[in-house]
Amino acid sequence: MRFDSYHPLINLIYFAAAISCSIAFNHPLFVLLSFVCALICAFSLRGSRALLVLLALLPLMALYTWWYSFYNHFGVTALGENFAGNSITAEALFYGASLSLRAGAVALFISCLLAVFTADKVVYLFGRLSPKLSLFIAILLRSAPRTLAYARRISVSQQGIGRGPGQGSLPARFVNALRLCSVLITWTLENFLESSLSMRSRGYSLRGRTAFSLYRFDNRDRSLVVVIFALLITILAGAALDQTHIYYDPRIIMMPVTALSFVFYAAYGLFLLLPVIIRIICARRFAAAAA
Amino acid sequence: MAHFEIKDLSFSYPAAHGRKALSHVDLSIEKGEYITVCGKSGSGKTTLLRHLKSVLAPHGEMTGEIIFAGQPLAEVSLREQSSKIGYVMQNPDNQIVTDKVWHELAFGLESLGMEQKTIRLRVAEMASYFGIQGWFHKNVAELSGGQKQLLNLASIMAMQPTVLILDEPTSQLDPIAAADFLNTVRKINLELGTTVIITEHRLEDIFHAADRVVVMDGGRIIACDEPRRVGDFLKKDGNEMFAAMPSPVQIYYGVENELQCPLTVREGRNWLSELFAGRQISSPAIKREQVREEDLIGTPAILMKEVWFRYEKDAPDVLKGVDLSVPQGTIFAMVGGNGTGKSTMLKSICHICRPYRGQILIDGKRVEKYRADELFRRNLAMLPQDPQSLFVKKTVREDLAEMLPADCADKEERIARVAQICQIDELLDSHPYDLSGGEQQRAALAKVLLTEPRILLLDEPTKGLDNFFKLTFAQILKNLQKEGVTILMVSHDVEFCAKYADLVGMFFDGGVITTNRPDKFFSQNSFYTTAANRMSRHIFDNAITNEDVIELCRMNR
Repeated sequence: MRFDSYHPLINLIYFAAAISCSIAFNHPLFVLLSFVCALICAFSLRGSRALLVLLALLPLMALYTWWYSFYNHFGVTALGENFAGNSITAEALFYGASLSLRAGAVALFISCLLAVFTADKVVYLFGRLSPKLSLFIAILLRSAPRTLAYARRISVSQQGIGRGPGQGSLPARFVNALRLCSVLITWTLENFLESSLSMRSRGYSLRGRTAFSLYRFDNRDRSLVVVIFALLITILAGAALDQTHIYYDPRIIMMPVTALSFVFYAAYGLFLLLPVIIRIICARRFAAAAA
Repeated sequence: MAHFEIKDLSFSYPAAHGRKALSHVDLSIEKGEYITVCGKSGSGKTTLLRHLKSVLAPHGEMTGEIIFAGQPLAEVSLREQSSKIGYVMQNPDNQIVTDKVWHELAFGLESLGMEQKTIRLRVAEMASYFGIQGWFHKNVAELSGGQKQLLNLASIMAMQPTVLILDEPTSQLDPIAAADFLNTVRKINLELGTTVIITEHRLEDIFHAADRVVVMDGGRIIACDEPRRVGDFLKKDGNEMFAAMPSPVQIYYGVENELQCPLTVREGRNWLSELFAGRQISSPAIKREQVREEDLIGTPAILMKEVWFRYEKDAPDVLKGVDLSVPQGTIFAMVGGNGTGKSTMLKSICHICRPYRGQILIDGKRVEKYRADELFRRNLAMLPQDPQSLFVKKTVREDLAEMLPADCADKEERIARVAQICQIDELLDSHPYDLSGGEQQRAALAKVLLTEPRILLLDEPTKGLDNFFKLTFAQILKNLQKEGVTILMVSHDVEFCAKYADLVGMFFDGGVITTNRPDKFFSQNSFYTTAANRMSRHIFDNAITNEDVIELCRMNR
């Protein structure tokens, strides 16, 4: 089973936790873990398209780090001077790097989130809040592409009598395009009237609407929830013990690394890589079953 | 106990100044009955049907009473009406509310506040019964028109209604999808005992299946009886509605005989066999004037030479080497199934779709050599499949005026003339969206005619038209032809093409398979042909229209 086939609530918990941890933790190892794991997840979920995201991100991140160290002068370890005569410090450089890595990790997680959260899941999650709201989103999801398709149809019809938005002189084209917009609005309103009749006819205005979804919360989902929360509690314990934080100002100070620290590192890495691990396990199981 | 009882129902719309849309309608419908309501457009069919569900009932002045299952309809709660009275409307697209097939199936059940488990079961049941499993997860935008209408039906049936009301449900569908849909409705009626009340202009498919046929005219019920007697009544009454009867019925009444009236093609075949039992057929074929070859020589109005086209670089070809020649001054009909590329062919003639190989010549000149204003003024015009998409103004009159240059001196006269040709004089001040399907079609044609085309392209011109409008429409086309206009139409409507076209072509898999005169074309085919031909082919050679069969029957008696 792929990660996106799990219940949408689990997807939501995972991404919410992963993104907030990536933002909150500034310990270099955790930052590095966030970024690398986010990258692995992105490659696993989106394939080669993740490479594009990465290629766009890396220069931005480098630029930000440079900019940050250039204009922030806290810290005690001077590395050199910029043209204005201000010192460039190791602390500011590291902090800038950690900020940009964290931002990069968040961006990568969001790209994963967009891949996992189809419109269906969004509609479902809103349905948990309010059935009417989720229905509204579903209607919107239908009407937007439909209106566009109709705009194309009008355009073709108008072209068939020589009045398309791409025909005739420039002013004529402008008038034709305007006309297309105005008729599109009339059409949308007119159709919405009929749709609303169909909705009322099927009891839309009755009280006590429910929101149906195809998702089921079964044992597979429950066991994953247990794993997620076990890992999250471990990570939070690490945060409580100041394992996820260091000081950059005035100098880099971090808690001593003990044996226990490695437990926190492992828990964090494991948590972030859950989608990839699930994928590998499933592929293994499928291969075993098929053999 | 009757399921629906309509007692002395009269109704008038607020703006109608006392003109009654329904007057003194009395009708009692039993549980499990299959009732077909027919009548010309504007006869009050839709108004009557809408009164049978309170949320859909139009505003206006109503007298009389409607009783649903022993209780006045007005007192039946909204909840009960929502679930017990199912209503399917004309336009498949506008009825769909949500973006996913499965969600649409659940919509009504969500409204009723059912819990997950119950909805899950009902939805599964519906998807299985209606054969929707294959597209259960799809976006509704990906469905065909037929699938959409089936989805509308399924999502209403999910609420387990006891009565199903359908208002011209197949007018936007192609014949194959329409027959499928009507068969499903029939199946629901037979297998579940759901009462069915349906209005339809495609009477061929449902006339024989109906328990009773209600005929409406000017807001009154003029007949309500079993199908055979209704046919008999309309013939004796000399009513215009007779033109809407299925072919076997029309042929039967065209030939004097004492046998029982056939309702289906099968019955029609047997009827003809019985009629000519033991008799020699002296003249099995109608002699037609041969079209002289020299008439067709000269520059064709439209000439396509091995035209290839696809919409996107990596998409499959839609037109695969189309060869077509439309002679000047003819009505040329192109028939063929859905998605074979017929409409694309028309678009390529208008230069909306640009072929990547091959040539298209309009009057012997390549289409890309024309300037847009040259091509679409006094030359070429296309009437799209969806006439509504042509209208851009608040009244038909403004819409027509918009086609003429602002400094045109004889504006009013030209509008009046074209309105007269298309018989829309009375509709000039209406909003184009308020017109019925047939009226919209004629108003759109008027608009197109104002470009004074010499070549007219029609995309499914008879879609959604009832049989009277078809007669009117055909007359308009014939008149245009007399004025020298060349007409190329693509259509599913075999009967219409057989009757009015000079040449018929078959389009399949991106190309024109064959072109011939209608009588030759249709008498060669055994599936893709008219009801009259299917009914008579075992006796006569080349009868393709009802009139042909009647004439041959008379000649051989």
